[in-house]
Amino acid sequence: MQAVREGDFAQLGVLFDRHHREIFDFLVRTTGQRAVAEDLVQDVFERILKYRSTYRGDAGFRPWMYRIACNARADHYRRKVPTTAWADEFEPADESAGPERTLEEASDAQRLQRALNTLREEKRELLMLARFGEMKYEAIAEVFGVDTGTIKVRVHRALKELRDAFLKLDSRPPCNVKKFPSGTPTI
Amino acid sequence: MQCEEIPQRHADYLAGTLSDTERAAFQRHVAGCAACQRETESLGGIWTTLEDIPAPEPDSRAMRARFDAALEREQASARPAGRSFHWNYAMAAGVAAAALIGGIFIGRGGSQDVTALRGEVRDLKHMVALSLMQQQSASERLKGVSWSNSLEGPGDEIVTALLDTLKHDDNVNVRLASIDALRRFAERTDVRRAAIDVLQTQRSPLVQMALIDFVVETQDRDAAGALRRISGDSESDQTVRARAAWGLEHLGVQS
Repeated sequence: MQAVREGDFAQLGVLFDRHHREIFDFLVRTTGQRAVAEDLVQDVFERILKYRSTYRGDAGFRPWMYRIACNARADHYRRKVPTTAWADEFEPADESAGPERTLEEASDAQRLQRALNTLREEKRELLMLARFGEMKYEAIAEVFGVDTGTIKVRVHRALKELRDAFLKLDSRPPCNVKKFPSGTPTI
Repeated sequence: MQCEEIPQRHADYLAGTLSDTERAAFQRHVAGCAACQRETESLGGIWTTLEDIPAPEPDSRAMRARFDAALEREQASARPAGRSFHWNYAMAAGVAAAALIGGIFIGRGGSQDVTALRGEVRDLKHMVALSLMQQQSASERLKGVSWSNSLEGPGDEIVTALLDTLKHDDNVNVRLASIDALRRFAERTDVRRAAIDVLQTQRSPLVQMALIDFVVETQDRDAAGALRRISGDSESDQTVRARAAWGLEHLGVQS
Protein backbone atom coordinates (compact mmCIF):
# COMPACT_ATOMS: atom_id res chain seq x y z
CA MET A 1 0.00 0.00 0.00
CA GLN A 2 2.95 2.30 0.62
CA ALA A 3 3.89 1.89 -3.06
CA VAL A 4 0.35 2.76 -4.17
CA ARG A 5 0.41 5.82 -1.92
CA GLU A 6 3.63 6.91 -3.57
CA GLY A 7 2.08 6.68 -7.03
CA ASP A 8 2.81 3.12 -8.15
CA PHE A 9 -0.77 2.36 -9.18
CA ALA A 10 0.15 -1.02 -10.64
CA GLN A 11 0.63 -2.29 -7.09
CA LEU A 12 -3.07 -1.76 -6.49
CA GLY A 13 -3.62 -4.78 -8.74
CA VAL A 14 -1.62 -6.86 -6.28
CA LEU A 15 -3.76 -5.59 -3.42
CA PHE A 16 -6.90 -6.34 -5.42
CA ASP A 17 -5.82 -9.92 -6.09
CA ARG A 18 -4.91 -10.40 -2.45
CA HIS A 19 -7.95 -8.88 -0.78
CA HIS A 20 -10.94 -8.74 -3.15
CA ARG A 21 -12.29 -12.12 -2.01
CA GLU A 22 -12.39 -11.28 1.67
CA ILE A 23 -13.91 -7.85 1.00
CA PHE A 24 -16.51 -9.45 -1.27
CA ASP A 25 -17.29 -12.03 1.41
CA PHE A 26 -17.72 -9.31 4.04
CA LEU A 27 -19.91 -7.21 1.76
CA VAL A 28 -22.06 -10.05 0.52
CA ARG A 29 -22.63 -11.19 4.09
CA THR A 30 -23.61 -7.69 5.19
CA THR A 31 -25.76 -6.79 2.16
CA GLY A 32 -27.15 -10.17 1.10
CA GLN A 33 -26.78 -9.17 -2.56
CA ARG A 34 -24.09 -10.48 -4.89
CA ALA A 35 -24.38 -7.71 -7.46
CA VAL A 36 -24.28 -4.98 -4.83
CA ALA A 37 -21.28 -6.63 -3.17
CA GLU A 38 -19.45 -6.80 -6.51
CA ASP A 39 -20.14 -3.12 -7.19
CA LEU A 40 -19.03 -2.20 -3.70
CA VAL A 41 -15.76 -4.14 -4.05
CA GLN A 42 -15.09 -1.98 -7.09
CA ASP A 43 -16.01 1.10 -5.11
CA VAL A 44 -13.72 0.08 -2.24
CA PHE A 45 -10.68 -0.25 -4.50
CA GLU A 46 -11.47 3.00 -6.27
CA ARG A 47 -11.68 4.68 -2.87
CA ILE A 48 -8.39 3.09 -1.84
CA LEU A 49 -6.86 4.76 -4.89
CA LYS A 50 -8.66 8.04 -4.32
CA TYR A 51 -7.86 8.28 -0.62
CA ARG A 52 -4.41 6.64 -0.79
CA SER A 53 -2.84 9.74 0.71
CA THR A 54 -4.86 9.25 3.91
CA TYR A 55 -3.34 5.82 4.52
CA ARG A 56 -0.92 5.87 7.43
CA GLY A 57 1.70 3.17 7.38
CA ASP A 58 1.71 2.78 11.16
CA ALA A 59 -1.85 1.39 11.19
CA GLY A 60 -2.50 -1.92 9.45
CA PHE A 61 -3.78 -1.94 5.90
CA ARG A 62 -6.68 -4.33 6.51
CA PRO A 63 -8.40 -2.29 9.24
CA TRP A 64 -8.11 0.77 6.97
CA MET A 65 -9.49 -1.21 4.02
CA TYR A 66 -12.43 -2.54 6.08
CA ARG A 67 -13.20 0.95 7.32
CA ILE A 68 -13.41 2.04 3.70
CA ALA A 69 -15.66 -0.95 2.96
CA CYS A 70 -18.01 -0.04 5.83
CA ASN A 71 -18.18 3.56 4.58
CA ALA A 72 -18.78 2.46 0.99
CA ARG A 73 -21.60 0.17 2.08
CA ALA A 74 -23.19 2.85 4.26
CA ASP A 75 -22.95 5.43 1.45
CA HIS A 76 -24.49 2.97 -1.00
CA TYR A 77 -27.56 2.43 1.15
CA ARG A 78 -27.88 6.10 1.94
CA ARG A 79 -28.03 6.77 -1.79
CA LYS A 80 -30.15 3.80 -2.85
CA VAL A 81 -32.33 2.23 -0.16
CA PRO A 82 -32.25 4.27 3.02
CA THR A 83 -34.50 1.96 5.02
CA THR A 84 -33.40 -1.58 4.13
CA ALA A 85 -29.70 -2.30 4.04
CA TRP A 86 -30.20 -5.99 3.40
CA ALA A 87 -31.71 -8.32 0.84
CA ASP A 88 -32.15 -12.08 1.05
CA GLU A 89 -30.36 -13.61 -1.86
CA PHE A 90 -28.76 -16.67 -0.38
CA GLU A 91 -28.85 -20.13 -1.81
CA PRO A 92 -29.95 -23.30 0.05
CA ALA A 93 -27.44 -25.22 2.14
CA ASP A 94 -25.23 -28.00 0.74
CA GLU A 95 -27.43 -30.95 -0.24
CA SER A 96 -24.66 -33.50 0.14
CA ALA A 97 -25.27 -33.49 3.91
CA GLY A 98 -28.52 -35.49 3.50
CA PRO A 99 -32.07 -34.20 3.09
CA GLU A 100 -33.12 -34.00 6.77
CA ARG A 101 -29.93 -32.45 8.01
CA THR A 102 -29.89 -30.09 5.06
CA LEU A 103 -33.44 -28.95 5.76
CA GLU A 104 -32.66 -28.33 9.43
CA GLU A 105 -29.45 -26.45 8.69
CA ALA A 106 -31.02 -24.41 5.91
CA SER A 107 -33.89 -23.59 8.19
CA ASP A 108 -31.63 -22.47 11.06
CA ALA A 109 -29.40 -20.54 8.67
CA GLN A 110 -32.39 -18.82 7.07
CA ARG A 111 -33.78 -17.85 10.47
CA LEU A 112 -30.37 -16.62 11.54
CA GLN A 113 -30.18 -14.56 8.37
CA ARG A 114 -33.51 -12.95 9.19
CA ALA A 115 -32.38 -12.38 12.77
CA LEU A 116 -29.18 -10.73 11.49
CA ASN A 117 -31.32 -8.46 9.37
CA THR A 118 -32.96 -7.05 12.49
CA LEU A 119 -29.62 -5.89 13.93
CA ARG A 120 -28.27 -2.41 13.39
CA GLU A 121 -25.81 -2.20 10.51
CA GLU A 122 -22.80 -1.59 12.73
CA LYS A 123 -23.58 -4.65 14.85
CA ARG A 124 -24.00 -6.80 11.74
CA GLU A 125 -20.68 -5.55 10.39
CA LEU A 126 -19.00 -6.19 13.72
CA LEU A 127 -20.28 -9.75 13.97
CA MET A 128 -19.29 -10.56 10.39
CA LEU A 129 -15.80 -9.17 10.96
CA ALA A 130 -15.40 -11.03 14.25
CA ARG A 131 -16.67 -14.30 12.81
CA PHE A 132 -15.26 -14.24 9.28
CA GLY A 133 -12.86 -11.30 9.02
CA GLU A 134 -9.81 -13.28 10.14
CA MET A 135 -8.65 -10.27 12.13
CA LYS A 136 -7.72 -10.09 15.78
CA TYR A 137 -9.97 -8.01 18.01
CA GLU A 138 -7.22 -5.38 18.18
CA ALA A 139 -7.51 -4.86 14.40
CA ILE A 140 -11.32 -4.90 14.48
CA ALA A 141 -11.15 -2.23 17.18
CA GLU A 142 -9.17 -0.08 14.72
CA VAL A 143 -11.88 -0.48 12.09
CA PHE A 144 -14.47 0.92 14.48
CA GLY A 145 -12.15 3.43 16.15
CA VAL A 146 -12.61 2.12 19.71
CA ASP A 147 -10.44 0.18 22.15
CA THR A 148 -10.13 -3.60 22.14
CA GLY A 149 -12.02 -4.11 25.41
CA THR A 150 -15.00 -2.18 24.03
CA ILE A 151 -15.02 -4.30 20.88
CA LYS A 152 -15.08 -7.54 22.86
CA VAL A 153 -18.00 -6.33 24.95
CA ARG A 154 -19.80 -5.16 21.79
CA VAL A 155 -19.30 -8.56 20.14
CA HIS A 156 -20.82 -10.23 23.18
CA ARG A 157 -23.78 -7.82 23.23
CA ALA A 158 -24.35 -8.11 19.49
CA LEU A 159 -24.27 -11.90 19.71
CA LYS A 160 -26.78 -11.86 22.55
CA GLU A 161 -29.01 -9.55 20.56
CA LEU A 162 -28.72 -11.86 17.57
CA ARG A 163 -29.53 -14.89 19.74
CA ASP A 164 -32.61 -13.16 21.17
CA ALA A 165 -33.77 -12.12 17.69
CA PHE A 166 -33.20 -15.66 16.46
CA LEU A 167 -35.23 -17.14 19.32
CA LYS A 168 -38.08 -14.75 18.63
CA LEU A 169 -38.26 -16.16 15.12
CA ASP A 170 -37.86 -19.72 16.32
CA SER A 171 -40.43 -21.61 18.37
CA ARG A 172 -37.95 -24.38 19.10
CA PRO A 173 -35.62 -24.28 22.13
CA PRO A 174 -32.09 -22.91 21.66
CA CYS A 175 -30.51 -26.36 21.94
CA ASN A 176 -31.61 -26.97 18.35
CA VAL A 177 -29.00 -24.50 17.21
CA LYS A 178 -25.86 -26.27 16.11
CA LYS A 179 -23.78 -27.40 19.08
CA PHE A 180 -20.74 -25.24 19.75
CA PRO A 181 -17.72 -27.48 19.12
CA SER A 182 -15.11 -28.05 21.80
CA GLY A 183 -12.32 -26.99 19.44
CA THR A 184 -12.95 -23.26 19.19
CA PRO A 185 -12.46 -21.44 15.91
CA THR A 186 -9.80 -18.81 15.62
CA ILE A 187 -10.03 -15.41 14.06
CA MET B 1 -13.65 -16.58 37.73
CA GLN B 2 -16.96 -14.88 38.64
CA CYS B 3 -20.19 -14.69 36.63
CA GLU B 4 -19.59 -10.97 35.98
CA GLU B 5 -16.36 -11.74 34.18
CA ILE B 6 -17.91 -14.18 31.73
CA PRO B 7 -19.34 -11.59 29.26
CA GLN B 8 -15.93 -9.90 29.00
CA ARG B 9 -14.27 -13.23 28.19
CA HIS B 10 -16.92 -14.56 25.86
CA ALA B 11 -15.64 -12.96 22.67
CA ASP B 12 -12.15 -14.34 23.29
CA TYR B 13 -13.53 -17.76 24.22
CA LEU B 14 -15.51 -18.00 20.98
CA ALA B 15 -12.58 -16.80 18.90
CA GLY B 16 -10.20 -19.15 20.64
CA THR B 17 -7.96 -16.32 21.78
CA LEU B 18 -7.96 -17.06 25.54
CA SER B 19 -4.71 -18.34 27.00
CA ASP B 20 -4.71 -21.94 28.27
CA THR B 21 -4.99 -20.73 31.87
CA GLU B 22 -7.83 -18.31 31.09
CA ARG B 23 -9.62 -20.91 29.04
CA ALA B 24 -9.37 -23.50 31.83
CA ALA B 25 -10.69 -20.96 34.37
CA PHE B 26 -13.54 -20.03 31.99
CA GLN B 27 -14.51 -23.66 31.45
CA ARG B 28 -14.25 -24.48 35.18
CA HIS B 29 -16.66 -21.67 36.02
CA VAL B 30 -19.09 -22.56 33.24
CA ALA B 31 -19.09 -26.23 34.28
CA GLY B 32 -20.21 -25.27 37.80
CA CYS B 33 -22.68 -22.48 36.92
CA ALA B 34 -25.91 -23.47 35.20
CA ALA B 35 -26.77 -19.92 34.09
CA CYS B 36 -23.37 -19.25 32.51
CA GLN B 37 -23.41 -22.69 30.96
CA ARG B 38 -26.75 -21.99 29.24
CA GLU B 39 -25.51 -18.60 28.04
CA THR B 40 -22.23 -19.98 26.75
CA GLU B 41 -23.89 -22.87 24.94
CA SER B 42 -26.57 -20.78 23.28
CA LEU B 43 -24.19 -18.02 22.18
CA GLY B 44 -21.67 -20.61 21.04
CA GLY B 45 -24.41 -22.28 19.02
CA ILE B 46 -25.30 -19.00 17.30
CA TRP B 47 -21.59 -18.32 16.66
CA THR B 48 -21.21 -21.73 15.02
CA THR B 49 -24.46 -21.55 13.05
CA LEU B 50 -23.36 -18.26 11.49
CA GLU B 51 -21.04 -20.38 9.37
CA ASP B 52 -24.07 -22.16 7.83
CA ILE B 53 -25.29 -18.95 6.23
CA PRO B 54 -24.10 -19.47 2.69
CA ALA B 55 -22.19 -16.75 0.90
CA PRO B 56 -21.61 -16.91 -2.85
CA GLU B 57 -18.17 -16.94 -4.40
CA PRO B 58 -17.09 -13.84 -6.30
CA ASP B 59 -16.68 -13.83 -10.06
CA SER B 60 -13.02 -12.89 -9.70
CA ARG B 61 -12.23 -12.76 -13.40
CA ALA B 62 -15.06 -10.35 -14.24
CA MET B 63 -14.32 -8.25 -11.18
CA ARG B 64 -10.63 -8.03 -12.07
CA ALA B 65 -11.51 -6.94 -15.61
CA ARG B 66 -13.71 -4.14 -14.25
CA PHE B 67 -11.01 -3.15 -11.84
CA ASP B 68 -8.36 -3.05 -14.61
CA ALA B 69 -10.59 -0.81 -16.72
CA ALA B 70 -11.17 1.56 -13.80
CA LEU B 71 -7.46 1.61 -12.98
CA GLU B 72 -6.60 2.37 -16.59
CA ARG B 73 -9.02 5.32 -16.59
CA GLU B 74 -7.53 6.58 -13.34
CA GLN B 75 -3.97 6.27 -14.60
CA ALA B 76 -4.86 8.14 -17.76
CA SER B 77 -6.36 11.04 -15.86
CA ALA B 78 -4.15 11.13 -12.75
CA ARG B 79 -1.22 13.39 -12.23
CA PRO B 80 2.07 11.63 -11.47
CA ALA B 81 2.74 11.35 -7.73
CA GLY B 82 4.81 14.17 -6.30
CA ARG B 83 3.72 16.63 -8.95
CA SER B 84 0.83 17.93 -6.91
CA PHE B 85 3.12 19.61 -4.41
CA HIS B 86 4.83 21.63 -7.14
CA TRP B 87 1.52 22.12 -8.87
CA ASN B 88 0.19 23.83 -5.76
CA TYR B 89 2.99 26.32 -5.80
CA ALA B 90 2.54 26.85 -9.52
CA MET B 91 -1.11 27.60 -8.83
CA ALA B 92 -0.20 30.00 -6.04
CA ALA B 93 2.32 31.70 -8.34
CA GLY B 94 -0.39 31.90 -11.02
CA VAL B 95 -2.75 33.58 -8.60
CA ALA B 96 -0.06 36.08 -7.62
CA ALA B 97 0.87 36.79 -11.24
CA ALA B 98 -2.75 37.23 -12.25
CA ALA B 99 -3.27 39.58 -9.32
CA LEU B 100 -0.20 41.60 -10.31
CA ILE B 101 -1.27 41.88 -13.93
CA GLY B 102 -4.76 42.70 -12.72
CA GLY B 103 -3.29 45.53 -10.66
CA ILE B 104 -1.47 46.93 -13.70
CA PHE B 105 -4.64 46.84 -15.77
CA ILE B 106 -6.62 48.51 -13.01
CA GLY B 107 -4.04 51.26 -13.07
CA ARG B 108 -4.55 51.66 -16.81
CA GLY B 109 -8.32 51.58 -16.53
CA GLY B 110 -9.00 48.61 -18.86
CA SER B 111 -12.30 47.60 -17.24
CA GLN B 112 -13.16 44.63 -19.52
CA ASP B 113 -9.72 43.13 -19.09
CA VAL B 114 -9.92 43.67 -15.35
CA THR B 115 -13.21 41.81 -15.19
CA ALA B 116 -11.75 38.92 -17.16
CA LEU B 117 -8.66 38.82 -14.98
CA ARG B 118 -10.76 38.89 -11.82
CA GLY B 119 -12.59 35.88 -13.16
CA GLU B 120 -9.33 34.07 -13.79
CA VAL B 121 -8.02 34.88 -10.33
CA ARG B 122 -11.24 33.58 -8.83
CA ASP B 123 -10.95 30.34 -10.84
CA LEU B 124 -7.34 29.91 -9.78
CA LYS B 125 -8.24 30.42 -6.13
CA HIS B 126 -10.91 27.74 -6.48
CA MET B 127 -8.39 25.35 -7.99
CA VAL B 128 -5.84 26.01 -5.25
CA ALA B 129 -8.46 25.38 -2.55
CA LEU B 130 -9.55 22.13 -4.23
CA SER B 131 -5.97 21.02 -4.71
CA LEU B 132 -5.01 21.71 -1.09
CA MET B 133 -8.01 19.70 0.14
CA GLN B 134 -6.60 16.65 -1.65
CA GLN B 135 -3.13 16.81 -0.15
CA GLN B 136 -1.55 14.08 1.95
CA SER B 137 -0.66 16.45 4.76
CA ALA B 138 -3.55 17.20 7.14
CA SER B 139 -2.28 20.75 7.68
CA GLU B 140 -2.40 21.34 3.89
CA ARG B 141 -5.95 19.98 3.76
CA LEU B 142 -6.82 22.24 6.66
CA LYS B 143 -5.43 25.19 4.70
CA GLY B 144 -7.56 24.17 1.71
CA VAL B 145 -10.71 24.09 3.84
CA SER B 146 -9.84 27.47 5.39
CA TRP B 147 -9.10 28.95 1.99
CA SER B 148 -12.52 27.90 0.76
CA ASN B 149 -13.96 30.34 3.34
CA SER B 150 -12.40 33.26 1.52
CA LEU B 151 -13.70 32.33 -1.95
CA GLU B 152 -16.22 34.58 -3.63
CA GLY B 153 -19.11 32.72 -5.17
CA PRO B 154 -17.84 29.19 -4.51
CA GLY B 155 -19.47 26.68 -6.84
CA ASP B 156 -20.76 23.14 -6.49
CA GLU B 157 -17.24 21.77 -6.81
CA ILE B 158 -16.17 23.44 -3.58
CA VAL B 159 -19.30 22.29 -1.74
CA THR B 160 -18.79 18.73 -3.00
CA ALA B 161 -15.13 18.78 -1.90
CA LEU B 162 -16.10 20.06 1.55
CA LEU B 163 -18.78 17.39 1.91
CA ASP B 164 -16.29 14.77 0.76
CA THR B 165 -13.85 16.00 3.41
CA LEU B 166 -16.53 15.89 6.08
CA LYS B 167 -17.45 12.32 5.13
CA HIS B 168 -14.08 10.77 4.49
CA ASP B 169 -11.15 12.74 5.89
CA ASP B 170 -9.45 10.71 8.60
CA ASN B 171 -8.30 13.77 10.52
CA VAL B 172 -10.77 15.07 13.10
CA ASN B 173 -9.50 18.67 12.88
CA VAL B 174 -9.98 18.74 9.11
CA ARG B 175 -13.49 17.33 9.47
CA LEU B 176 -14.30 19.92 12.13
CA ALA B 177 -12.98 22.71 9.88
CA SER B 178 -15.14 21.42 7.02
CA ILE B 179 -18.25 21.75 9.22
CA ASP B 180 -17.35 25.39 9.90
CA ALA B 181 -16.74 25.99 6.19
CA LEU B 182 -20.08 24.38 5.29
CA ARG B 183 -22.01 26.81 7.51
CA ARG B 184 -22.13 29.36 4.69
CA PHE B 185 -23.93 26.77 2.56
CA ALA B 186 -26.42 25.82 5.26
CA GLU B 187 -29.34 27.02 3.15
CA ARG B 188 -28.64 24.20 0.67
CA THR B 189 -30.77 21.11 1.19
CA ASP B 190 -28.01 18.73 0.09
CA VAL B 191 -25.62 20.17 2.69
CA ARG B 192 -28.17 19.85 5.49
CA ARG B 193 -29.04 16.30 4.41
CA ALA B 194 -25.37 15.35 4.32
CA ALA B 195 -24.82 16.80 7.80
CA ILE B 196 -27.62 14.61 9.16
CA ASP B 197 -26.29 11.53 7.33
CA VAL B 198 -22.76 12.04 8.62
CA LEU B 199 -24.07 12.71 12.12
CA GLN B 200 -25.49 9.19 12.17
CA THR B 201 -22.32 7.46 11.03
CA GLN B 202 -19.70 9.67 12.63
CA ARG B 203 -17.68 8.03 15.39
CA SER B 204 -15.75 11.01 16.68
CA PRO B 205 -17.61 12.63 19.62
CA LEU B 206 -16.09 16.02 18.75
CA VAL B 207 -17.40 15.89 15.19
CA GLN B 208 -20.76 14.58 16.40
CA MET B 209 -21.05 17.54 18.78
CA ALA B 210 -20.14 20.02 16.04
CA LEU B 211 -22.73 18.46 13.72
CA ILE B 212 -25.40 18.61 16.42
CA ASP B 213 -24.65 22.33 16.82
CA PHE B 214 -24.85 22.67 13.03
CA VAL B 215 -28.29 21.08 12.73
CA VAL B 216 -29.55 23.13 15.68
CA GLU B 217 -28.23 26.36 14.11
CA THR B 218 -29.96 25.52 10.86
CA GLN B 219 -33.12 24.59 12.79
CA ASP B 220 -33.42 21.48 10.67
CA ARG B 221 -36.20 19.45 12.20
CA ASP B 222 -35.40 16.58 9.84
CA ALA B 223 -32.48 15.92 12.18
CA ALA B 224 -34.86 15.00 15.01
CA GLY B 225 -34.77 11.27 14.18
CA ALA B 226 -30.98 11.17 14.20
CA LEU B 227 -30.80 13.15 17.43
CA ARG B 228 -33.32 10.83 19.08
CA ARG B 229 -31.33 7.79 18.07
CA ILE B 230 -28.11 9.25 19.44
CA SER B 231 -29.65 10.44 22.68
CA GLY B 232 -31.14 6.99 23.25
CA ASP B 233 -28.09 4.98 22.21
CA SER B 234 -26.43 3.54 25.29
CA GLU B 235 -23.25 2.90 23.30
CA SER B 236 -22.82 6.55 22.31
CA ASP B 237 -20.58 8.89 24.24
CA GLN B 238 -22.37 10.30 27.31
CA THR B 239 -21.59 13.92 26.42
CA VAL B 240 -22.80 13.41 22.85
CA ARG B 241 -26.03 11.88 24.10
CA ALA B 242 -26.59 14.87 26.38
CA ARG B 243 -25.84 17.26 23.48
CA ALA B 244 -28.30 15.38 21.25
CA ALA B 245 -30.98 15.73 23.94
CA TRP B 246 -30.11 19.44 24.15
CA GLY B 247 -30.42 19.63 20.36
CA LEU B 248 -33.89 18.09 20.41
CA GLU B 249 -34.95 20.62 23.02
CA HIS B 250 -33.65 23.51 20.91
CA LEU B 251 -35.34 22.20 17.80
CA GLY B 252 -38.55 22.19 19.80
CA VAL B 253 -39.28 18.50 19.27
CA GLN B 254 -39.93 15.81 21.85
CA SER B 255 -37.01 13.59 22.84
